[in-house]
Amino acid sequence: MSTAAKTGTEPGTDQITSFTFGELLSSRTVIGQTLKELGETHDNLWVLTPDIGATLVEFRDAYPDRFVDVGLSEQACVGIAAGLANEGNIPVVSGMLPFLSMRALEQVRSDICYPNLPVKIVGTHGGLVGNGGSTHYAVEDLGLMTSLVNMTVTSIGDPLMVGEVLRQSMSMTGPLYIRLAVGKKDKVVYEPGSVTVEIGKGITAREGTDLTLFAHGETVSQALDAADILGAEHGINARVVDMFTLKPIDEDLILRCAEETGRFVVVEDHLAYGGLASQMADVIADRGIRLDGFRRLGIPQVFAGFGEDTELRDKHGYGLQATVDAALAVTGGRPAESESTGDIA
Amino acid sequence: MAATITRPETDVSELEDLSYELREKLLLLCGEYDGSVHIGGDLSCADILTLLFQYGMHVDPQDLHNPERDRFVLSKGHAAVCMYITMAIRGFFDYREIVDTYGQLGSAYGMHPCKVQLPGVEVSTGSLGHGLPLATGMALHGKRSGMDHRVFTLMGDGETGEGSVWEAALAAHSNNLGNLVAFIDRNRQLMTSFSEERVKLEPYPDKWRAFGWNVIEVDGHDMAALVQAFDSLPAPDSDVPTVVICDTVKGKGVDFMERNLAWHAGSLNDTDLQRALASLAHGRKAA
Repeated sequence: MSTAAKTGTEPGTDQITSFTFGELLSSRTVIGQTLKELGETHDNLWVLTPDIGATLVEFRDAYPDRFVDVGLSEQACVGIAAGLANEGNIPVVSGMLPFLSMRALEQVRSDICYPNLPVKIVGTHGGLVGNGGSTHYAVEDLGLMTSLVNMTVTSIGDPLMVGEVLRQSMSMTGPLYIRLAVGKKDKVVYEPGSVTVEIGKGITAREGTDLTLFAHGETVSQALDAADILGAEHGINARVVDMFTLKPIDEDLILRCAEETGRFVVVEDHLAYGGLASQMADVIADRGIRLDGFRRLGIPQVFAGFGEDTELRDKHGYGLQATVDAALAVTGGRPAESESTGDIA
Repeated sequence: MAATITRPETDVSELEDLSYELREKLLLLCGEYDGSVHIGGDLSCADILTLLFQYGMHVDPQDLHNPERDRFVLSKGHAAVCMYITMAIRGFFDYREIVDTYGQLGSAYGMHPCKVQLPGVEVSTGSLGHGLPLATGMALHGKRSGMDHRVFTLMGDGETGEGSVWEAALAAHSNNLGNLVAFIDRNRQLMTSFSEERVKLEPYPDKWRAFGWNVIEVDGHDMAALVQAFDSLPAPDSDVPTVVICDTVKGKGVDFMERNLAWHAGSLNDTDLQRALASLAHGRKAA
């Protein structure tokens, strides 16, 4: 992306940015407000949904001629979006990710990615969230989406970032996938204006020298909490990187973190294989990066049951305590002796 | 109707000649190309494609992006070569180039159409059941923009087994897309079986009527009837999408291919090519 911008500094977002750092905010509300705002400046912006439209009401009411709810028809929804994009429009498809990423996968691949159309897919239920059970958890989606040629893949926790990424995406020529958790109550991770959001670039959410915790989506907050515990209880200075763009992955940042911290822990609300850790492992192997430690935390090969999000993460070994434990394991439980232990081949 | 693009003034007998030319050129390509061509399903839709490209549609080979043009989505993407040749006859492409490069490395002409590689093709297709949702999106744009072009798609009857077709049928009806016209090549054959033996599509017109569509039934090889069907299409600003169910024969025009499951796809050696051309010529004289 050529444009970089600060969160919450764009005109028209005053209402959203009145929320403060650390508060809970609905990503869905941010999406609704942002789409309404963008609908005014982009008369070719369309919003489509397969019956998941509660927070799209503002857009629908403002631009009824550019809103389509097809009902429960994910395949047609994505195909119609592709048809609209074929006519020069910028369609945003909003829905639940388990269904958009799997039921409509072939439409996403062949109708959107193949001709490289600017369709955005934004949705909720990425990871073990919402207590819906395995039909309603998107846990393979990042593996599927990162496999697709031309697709840009993001996973976002901070609700204000969702709006920013949507704004930036208006100038993108190809498709974009935006993954959210439940999207009802999301922690504002970054003080508005404090970080640069640029699609394709990771965000260093916390500086640190002993290891880097890589995360995306809701696990960014968890990684930050783990870093606090590591600092307070073990004297370990953990860096936290919000790798909100999984594709294209920020290789330079991975290289820099390897040089500067030498040890990686990746924690994500996705199958442990196929998501961010796998993307990073590819870079590490391809670039010949030698690390002093690498751990991946994510969902094992199970269909997870019911429970609260944090309970499920604990149960399946990628919760807060597991993150702290993995960091202790790769660091040997103590701060690194030198600031630079990474060795780049 | 679209103001800046005029339709060709072709009469029925000229259209029949153009259909014959299309079939002949298809067979000649099939004879030159080493690989397999979906000749059965090409021949069944040759008259429909001739109707659309040589008569019905407002398209201009010299003005590919004119917003007032009619759009065409080949949902049965495996009939791409039939579409390429029809379009070549209309002046979009060069027939000799199609024959000389078909399926070869670097060619824009392959088994399924790719809009990225071949400007003039509206949509890349191949996977079945994708065309109607795509055409629905394109028609939705036209409808909501108040434009008066039409969006046409051509499906095989077999591919209407895909659920996505019926999702789009619901959406097109729900959004009042009178500018959307789906032609169906009802040749009653899948790749490995006759459709009514394996998949009972009948009562087929009733299925479309039940989904809220205007249904026209026509002999898909009777050019006069096809022209009449086209002329009876509701105006693009009407509110009900139309399906034109064309009763066709897979392999139409070549006696040993007609209704023969062995000729879903194939290639022609010199002997078979001569037999096929002779059969085609004989059929023309008989008609």
